[in-house]
Amino acid sequence: MGFEKFLFYCFAAITVVAAGMVVTRRNPVHAVLYLVLAFVSSAVLWLLIEAEFLGIVLVLVYVGAVMVLFLFVVMMLDVDLAALRAGFVRFLPIGGLVAAAMAVQIFLVVGPANFGLEAFPKPPAAPAEYSNTEALGLALYTEHLYPFEIAAVILLVAIVAAIRLTLRRRPDTKYIDPSAQVQVKKGPDRVRLVKMPAEGKVETP
Amino acid sequence: MLDNYLPVLIFILIGILVGVGPLVLGYFLGPRRPDREKDSPYECGFEAFESARMKFDVRYYLVAILFIIFDLEIAFLFPWAVALEGLGMVGFVAMTLFLGILVVGFIYEWRKGALEWE
Amino acid sequence: MELWTSLPVIVRILLGIVAILLPLLGLVAYYTLAERKIIGYIQVRIGPNRVGFRGLLQPIADAVKLMFKEIVIPTRADKGLFLLAPMIAIAPALAAWAVIPFDAGLVLSDINAGLLYILALTSLGVYGIIIAGWASNSKYALLGAMRSAAQIVSYEIAMGFALVGVLVAAGSLNLGAIVGAQSGSALTWFWLPLLPLFGVYLVSGVAETNRAPFDVAEGESEIVAGFHVEYSGMAFAVFFLAEYANMILIATLTALLFFGGWLSPFPQAWVDGVFLLDDGFHWLLVKVFFFMFVFLWLRATFPRYRYDQIMRLGWKVFIPITIAWILVVGLAVVYKLPPWWAV
Repeated sequence: MGFEKFLFYCFAAITVVAAGMVVTRRNPVHAVLYLVLAFVSSAVLWLLIEAEFLGIVLVLVYVGAVMVLFLFVVMMLDVDLAALRAGFVRFLPIGGLVAAAMAVQIFLVVGPANFGLEAFPKPPAAPAEYSNTEALGLALYTEHLYPFEIAAVILLVAIVAAIRLTLRRRPDTKYIDPSAQVQVKKGPDRVRLVKMPAEGKVETP
Repeated sequence: MLDNYLPVLIFILIGILVGVGPLVLGYFLGPRRPDREKDSPYECGFEAFESARMKFDVRYYLVAILFIIFDLEIAFLFPWAVALEGLGMVGFVAMTLFLGILVVGFIYEWRKGALEWE
Repeated sequence: MELWTSLPVIVRILLGIVAILLPLLGLVAYYTLAERKIIGYIQVRIGPNRVGFRGLLQPIADAVKLMFKEIVIPTRADKGLFLLAPMIAIAPALAAWAVIPFDAGLVLSDINAGLLYILALTSLGVYGIIIAGWASNSKYALLGAMRSAAQIVSYEIAMGFALVGVLVAAGSLNLGAIVGAQSGSALTWFWLPLLPLFGVYLVSGVAETNRAPFDVAEGESEIVAGFHVEYSGMAFAVFFLAEYANMILIATLTALLFFGGWLSPFPQAWVDGVFLLDDGFHWLLVKVFFFMFVFLWLRATFPRYRYDQIMRLGWKVFIPITIAWILVVGLAVVYKLPPWWAV
């Protein structure tokens, strides 16, 4: 138990410090990288409570995919820091209000009544051959089938929304269509031989 | 289960050390003689102009967003694949429906030309 | 054996890691030599032959040379991130080896979610490239990093789907169990029932490691060297190490997931107990070396793809193939299609 507890406090500290850095760093790229660190160390925390599948999927989906998009955006969009900071004071009351509302919500969900070892006893250590993923699969695709299919619809909406928002065709750029290219057959598609009558002798001046 | 992850944790730490080691070695063994020309970013012999951190085509963001969606799909497929033998035909039909809905999205992408790289 | 079990756990783990890392790093070093030699012979040259007997000491000479070179940090580069990038590139490439089994039961950490862990770690590889490209403050580096990132991300989907196919076939995420599920003979290995997925996985592996013919990220004729153009000395060497370690990892995974790992290609009844023909680490080694050779063979044979062709192959060809084949394999598993999924 001792070592596990030690690991928990290490990674919990890393998570908290990294999360603090996310909101205090001036450079948005640094902030995003601290967020990556926060995600990785929370994945370790999830592993420590025996949530094997979720811990690794947190790294796979959030760190491996979502944060890559974040990095793309903050690296390439040239976020104008001065303009952002100009609105800071003006939006402070609204921001504070939203933050307070969220704090209350969090308190209602994980307040002292629903928190602590009495409400959430530590899960028993799983035997080595127990597959967390398989247990999840057996529950997800039978008992929770309906929410699972809803998830597909939500992802479909996300696909459509992403395309509607960002797809922009550029009719002015000339480009080659590789699909048409690979369908070219040997013979008439590729080369056209033109028969021309030979020209007569040209007088060179 | 956690016992099995201890070597993984140590391996990751050592992996980082294998990255740090050569850098430290190179730092101490190699010379350090900076000069303005040598330290300027590579630009085929020109003086560097403009900021190097330029704006990129929105197409890259679209690729990243679509990647997230498909990555989530893969995350859903993993537990299904492992449990399929226990789930039987019900599980198979459930996943066919799931993939079917997403294939609609995929066809939409295709027809809209979002997969085209101009 | 008694001495081994009497050692403290931590010492055993460290010894295990050293026993994996040292041969791996040696293999990486000599893989670079093999690459130059083999591509040399394919192109009717003889490759490096000056340092040591037939050039055998060339990798060591290269390493020593890089060690004594200056690590140039460009002006206005983000110094911290510039030096962090190579470490982020190499750590996942090495840490993935923690769950690779080398023989029946011979694995450093036998986790149940082995394949998931490997997929998660490979998805981290893209960070080293993006950070390197951005921190360098150089246009070529940034262009190379963006190309590389978009390419890696696209092929990761195809690769993930191909891995799901393997999972459906094996019914387990544990790499040892996946190899065990293929036991029989060369005909029961997964390459046969999963042939399209095998092709997709191998090609995605080449694209994922940014190797020729998918090396537009480097594209020396257009963007010099891509994301690591500003790196020199040991900082460059670490990126190089990561790339080759990743290639060996992909070769090993291909051998484990589709070619039965350490299993002998002959039916068990014929070779039981026969020296060198029975299952064992040497079979894995033979298969891994073959796929490592394929990487070089591809590089020596094919011209570079164009970027739009690469993206088309990843999205429009590989993803439909893999989705369709996952469902085919799923049906085969549900209906217990012999000989692979007999009751």
